[in-house]
Amino acid sequence: MKKTILFFALVAVTGSIFAQKKTTTSGIISFDATTSKDALPKAENKTVIAAIDAKKGTIAFEAIVKNFAFSNPKMQEHFNGATWMDSEKFPTATFKGNITNLASVDFQKDGTYNAEVAGDLTIHGITKPVKTTGKIIVAGKSISTNADFSIKLEDYGVNGPAIGAGKVATEPKISVSADLQ
Amino acid sequence: MEAVKKKGSSVLKKALVVISVLLVVGGGAIWYIFNLKFSDTTKIKADYTVNALDLIHEFEKNDSLSNRKYSEKIIVVNGMVSEVEAADTTVNIKMADSTSGSYIIFAFQQQHLAEAKSIKQGDEVSIKGSCSGGAYSEILETEFITFKRCVINK
Repeated sequence: MKKTILFFALVAVTGSIFAQKKTTTSGIISFDATTSKDALPKAENKTVIAAIDAKKGTIAFEAIVKNFAFSNPKMQEHFNGATWMDSEKFPTATFKGNITNLASVDFQKDGTYNAEVAGDLTIHGITKPVKTTGKIIVAGKSISTNADFSIKLEDYGVNGPAIGAGKVATEPKISVSADLQ
Repeated sequence: MEAVKKKGSSVLKKALVVISVLLVVGGGAIWYIFNLKFSDTTKIKADYTVNALDLIHEFEKNDSLSNRKYSEKIIVVNGMVSEVEAADTTVNIKMADSTSGSYIIFAFQQQHLAEAKSIKQGDEVSIKGSCSGGAYSEILETEFITFKRCVINK
């Protein structure tokens, strides 16, 4: 009898631990590097892997760089080329971080929470610390998250001639959103 | 002296005509390139036709080699839908290897989203799209292969 109780207790604890981690493979990252000279450098990647561990407060994203879809073929070619993202050599972009105000987010209670996030963003093979704020929306067992921020391309060694010519913003706007189950 | 002046003026006129033509042609070419849009994938001939599980296994075996072979190629993938993932206004379709958890995910062309929304888990489908390559996910600890500009292959 004791063994049976212990078994069910273990199952319950294990289930609870697994339930802390929510993931999706359909997160969205969009970036907008348009300028007054060029409206083309913007794209969206809809197949981003995202994960939040509510207990630990960790948050992570992974994206295949070549899956940023542009409307213009030439712009997509430039984006993946050696002077921009060099996606042959650096096929993924990742973020690994933590919710720094975890105490302010109640994952057990439905609501919209302001989250402060800090972590390491790796683009073009270069990792830099970033900080941003975003929203975490808890609705039942689902968690949605979104954040808007900008990065300096030169920090990540991206400095092609189009950037110097003012055709690509030096600090593109990045939007991240994910519905995690 | 007058003849030399006339000759010089004629050369200048010719040079101006050539420069004007070059500017018009060059400007036209730039305008064309920057107004070009990706074609509807239904109208593009596929480079490869593959079975979903075979493609997953090929990437699992050697994703560097597979990336060189398939990246930016138009591929028809046949297989069973393991999951339909809705995100905001969009829908992605997945085909997964239930043993390893590795998967292919297809993001659809905007004008073909309605077709994707009609697909259900368990359906046998044929999807055509542009392969963006695959990588090992440190988050999920599986191989994932992504596609963009997809359509249901009819």
